[in-house]
Amino acid sequence: MDAFVEKLVDGLNEELECETVFSIPLGNGHSIPVFESVVVTWIIIVALIVISKLLVRNLTIDHVSKKQLALESGIGFLRNFFEDALGEHGVRYMPYLMTVILYIGVANVIGLFGFKPPTKDMNVTIALSLMSIILIEYAGIYKKGVKGWIKGFAQPVAIVAPINVLEIFIRPLSLCMRLFGNVLGAFVVMELIKLCIPVGVPTVFSLYFDIFDGLIQAYVFVFLTSLFINEATE
Amino acid sequence: MTSLVALGAGIAVLTGAGAGIGIGIATSKAVESIARQPEASGKISSSLLLGCALAEATAVYGLVVAILIILLLK
Repeated sequence: MDAFVEKLVDGLNEELECETVFSIPLGNGHSIPVFESVVVTWIIIVALIVISKLLVRNLTIDHVSKKQLALESGIGFLRNFFEDALGEHGVRYMPYLMTVILYIGVANVIGLFGFKPPTKDMNVTIALSLMSIILIEYAGIYKKGVKGWIKGFAQPVAIVAPINVLEIFIRPLSLCMRLFGNVLGAFVVMELIKLCIPVGVPTVFSLYFDIFDGLIQAYVFVFLTSLFINEATE
Repeated sequence: MTSLVALGAGIAVLTGAGAGIGIGIATSKAVESIARQPEASGKISSSLLLGCALAEATAVYGLVVAILIILLLK
């Protein structure tokens, strides 16, 4: 039993720590550490750029290929989804949100290819949620101006203003913890299953925890961000 | 000491019960309303997803607290 707990704690510690792949020396004895999540993110960036370059080659208006049809229906699905969620004033933020959903979606399922998912590193989810809250507040300021944005805190009645101000901090915290906790929780459950029954059963659960849950979390992250943008620009 | 830590982590994860009940109620209502109005299923499922995400956050906080208990008090 103790050996089991030891193994679990070691595994947890290993997952929570971000490994340094290499360091960039600055010359004065200090160096910038480059974490594994950053390197995996670079790999994702290169892969996504190459795939999108390959997919948009030879696009035509007539004699559409199967590849182009699949691409068009995929983009059409995303565009419909974001147009509904963002509202008419938020549509200009659609490219950013599409990029984020592609990145989080790939990052959550990249564990299948043997990489460590970057979203299991809390620094990545913190950065993503900070970018989201900055975009949300920027959208509000852009639409209503600074005065209107400040007045927006006293909506619908002035007494809720403290809660509205608190929301600026609660929203990114909750976005960040949701993504991180789900990816880490899925990982811990998978490790427990692997410890109990190593053969056969983990494959079935991996379908749910690695693929379905990862994609749902990517969807939820951008969906919540776009709802907040919609609310801020109303 | 180890057993107390394990007990604490287990109690922290009990937050999952609340999230489970909440998501269950939300899903049952969503299924009911889709059965009543199948044409509104798109809007219903997107707001169901939002509610589920918010309800699930409590379970995730419980999980994070449990992990912190195991790692920091070990």
